[in-house]
Amino acid sequence: MVSSDQSPELGSVLKCVRCGTCRSVCPVFEEFGWESKTARGRMLLAQGLIRGELEPDQEMIESLSMCTTCGICEQKCPAGATPPKVVQSARQQLVQKGNATSAQLQMYTRAAETGNPLGETANRKQWIDEESEEQKNSEYVYFVGCLGSYRYPELARKTFRILEQLGVALLEDEKCCGSPIMRTGFDAGEFVSHNLDQIRKSGAHTVITSCAGCYNTLKKDYPDEFNVMHVSEFLAEHLDELDLKRLDLTVTFHDSCHLGRSHGVYDAPRRVIEAICDLKEMKSIKENARCCGGGGGVRTGYPELSMKLSRKRLAEVPDNVDYIVTACHLCRNNLIEGGSEHEVIDLVDLVCLAID
Amino acid sequence: MDLAEQLRNIGIENISSSPSQMYCYCTDASQIRGMPECVVRPRNTEQVSDIVKFANVNGIPLVARGAGTGMAGGAVAVKGGIVLDMSGMDRIISVEVENLQVLVEPGVVHSKLNEVLKPQGFFFPPDPGSSEMCTLGGLIGNNGSGMRSVKYGTTRHYVLDLEVVMADGSIIHTGSKTLKSITGYDLTGLMVGSEGTLGIITKALLKIHPLPKARSVMLASFETAEMAGEAVVRTLASGIVPSACEILDSTTIQALKSYDPQLDLSDAGAILLFEVDGTSGAVREGIETIKEVCSSLSFHTKAAKDTAEAERIWSARRMVGAAISRIDPKRTRVYAGEDIGVPIKEIPLMLSHIHKISEESGIPIMIYGHIGDGNLHTGMAIDLLDSAQMETVNKIADRIHRTAIMLGGTVSAEHGIGAARAEYVRMEKGNALDVMIAIKKALDPKGILNPGKMGV
Ligand SMILES: Cc1cc2nc3c(=O)[nH]c(=O)nc-3n(C[C@H](O)[C@H](O)[C@H](O)COP(=O)(O)OP(=O)(O)OC[C@H]3O[C@@H](n4cnc5c(N)ncnc54)[C@H](O)[C@@H]3O)c2cc1C
Ligand code: SF4
Ligand code: SF4
Repeated sequence: MVSSDQSPELGSVLKCVRCGTCRSVCPVFEEFGWESKTARGRMLLAQGLIRGELEPDQEMIESLSMCTTCGICEQKCPAGATPPKVVQSARQQLVQKGNATSAQLQMYTRAAETGNPLGETANRKQWIDEESEEQKNSEYVYFVGCLGSYRYPELARKTFRILEQLGVALLEDEKCCGSPIMRTGFDAGEFVSHNLDQIRKSGAHTVITSCAGCYNTLKKDYPDEFNVMHVSEFLAEHLDELDLKRLDLTVTFHDSCHLGRSHGVYDAPRRVIEAICDLKEMKSIKENARCCGGGGGVRTGYPELSMKLSRKRLAEVPDNVDYIVTACHLCRNNLIEGGSEHEVIDLVDLVCLAID
Repeated sequence: MDLAEQLRNIGIENISSSPSQMYCYCTDASQIRGMPECVVRPRNTEQVSDIVKFANVNGIPLVARGAGTGMAGGAVAVKGGIVLDMSGMDRIISVEVENLQVLVEPGVVHSKLNEVLKPQGFFFPPDPGSSEMCTLGGLIGNNGSGMRSVKYGTTRHYVLDLEVVMADGSIIHTGSKTLKSITGYDLTGLMVGSEGTLGIITKALLKIHPLPKARSVMLASFETAEMAGEAVVRTLASGIVPSACEILDSTTIQALKSYDPQLDLSDAGAILLFEVDGTSGAVREGIETIKEVCSSLSFHTKAAKDTAEAERIWSARRMVGAAISRIDPKRTRVYAGEDIGVPIKEIPLMLSHIHKISEESGIPIMIYGHIGDGNLHTGMAIDLLDSAQMETVNKIADRIHRTAIMLGGTVSAEHGIGAARAEYVRMEKGNALDVMIAIKKALDPKGILNPGKMGV
């Protein structure tokens, strides 16, 4: 007989009492209505896999790949079950059994070849201002991330311009943090050890990131050797030094799942916003905030679903705001693609408006 | 040709038969398991009728399912066949406040109905802990109730008319649009609580109630659960009808605190939660009377500070059954023997029987529930991988059920009989079960509707 001591994986799957509470919150279930698309269904599928009672089929792969890992099920679960974690380890099992989706496989191959899941071959630091002088050693380093480096270079530049003045350096040779690779079930060990070497070499005690995915990964999946701060936390701590001017604007703020529910970073971005302008909250916020639909590989794997979720989040934007502010690249992009009527900007964009 | 294909051939869509999907439908919140051959999510009454006709002609089991939050395996296909997932039929068709009624499809989630009614100053009173996820069809199927049933009664009291697809596929209406009607046999009453064994509910006309002007919550702490039980007997005998009267024993209190650490609950042997509603004068008076009656037995009483605190207590209370799993990371709450009801006067005796059973078996049994109507929930959390513990739990459940019957009580006050408690129907109902079997035979001669449930 196995006990939950011997099989911790089965133990966490069995935490689910099948009460169905997650039916009331899972945004993906809301779109489909089939039991397999609830957190409860996903917990059962993971159980079937672990117990060897189920072989992967199309339905299972779809159900597990469609989870945005938004974590609202975990937040609401009365029994203390952790569906996003279970989903991630079930995805690993699928990958081990050779059942990754083609989108996942492509992403993994690209990352292995180029050091980033986007498959970009250009220099990762091409975004840097010519005039910016790279500091070598500092107690703080800015981890730019793949999206910052390749997709949003302007934002990376803006962020670093501010951070640089507060004494923050860059890593010499940064690679993908490993998040998309792990979240889809692959092994990201090489990425972790490369970046870890780099961080050690820099001598920094704190790594700052502007991407919620990097933040989550650096915090949860790297050894506990350094502090991790989101740029919003760092800026909130240095508000006095930023000399921000008050703007006659009203904005709303979208909580990113991986920053908010995963790590409780709710107040720092709000403190920064309120130091600049008025904040009008969305319909669901903080622990209860709706997912933008961009996470967990859903944006790439199931764009149509992702857009539906994005539109539902946008429907929660209050009237009469000038901007939607986010603190996560993925969320910002997904809300823009979802067809936001309002301009969606990063927290750093807002800070720059108040500095200029 | 497999079942799904045969259904597609008669024009039915929204079918799944993939092994993974079936695995997700093979259970509910109980320990009962049964693998369906396919699941259909119908969109309207006509589709349901077509499916039922097909199943009847071919003698295929058909199991209606709402949200699958039932605790007795009611929605589990223990004999295989087709599961009808009714949760997609979720329209609130009309709200007629002037007629004190709403017309809904069975897949409407309970809390959604109350969200729509609230701004109009009305509510649908039965309030199960599973309000956020259970469907009205499931609630009617189980004749469920909840914390406010001590004053407002069970679902049965609020069903005016049902549209039901019978086993041969015919569609009937059981009741009337009037608030009272005695024309013919009470088929509405028969269908409510029949757990999908007599027909599939496709629409429900429900009675609604004006929201009370005021509500107030009071907590009384006791050294022992038995003393709390005695206080309930005395309170109800004093002529006060609280709108809720719940018991939480010491383990339940611990679970509640771990679910919501900000809850301010004393470490008592048991706490009674009272709610009184009505006009503000009546509420004040009710709370005072309860305080007075409890004073000789309780060591502490306190009122909830404001509505926010009261709501916080209720929302934690609604979820406490599942929250027991939080107390020990290796243990999971199992639902067995969890829903007995006894006559009010027997509550203290039933409580001491449960404590004795717990001591003798060596498994802690927590007690919570709607003590105001004699409905006690018991909770056990075990290591699910230890089959010996599961066996002990089943033995405990059996003893609890037999004790409740011995005291003139019932094996299920609201959660349902399903497959988990089917064997006790004869014990509790005697030869009335033969009448039920005769009704079942008359209405569903081929036995296609939810076979293996309710002892019929
Ligand atoms: C955390 C938690 C708390 C709970 N608290 C309470 C409580 O306080 N009070 C209470 O009464 N129950 C409670 N329950 C039990 C359960 O939630 C209720 O009985 C609920 O009403 C079942 O609804 P469902 O939609 O999940 O139905 P299901 O479990 O899917 O089905 C229940 C039964 O109804 C039948 N059925 C479903 N739909 C139809 C239909 N359209 N036509 C015919 N038959 C149908 C099914 O065949 C089955 O027999 C609780 C459950 C949980 C998990
Ligand atoms: S809320 Fe938690 S315990 Fe309940 S069904 Fe979902 S995962 Fe399972
Ligand atoms: S993490 Fe989000 S998408 Fe995934 S099961 Fe939970 S609620 Fe659903």
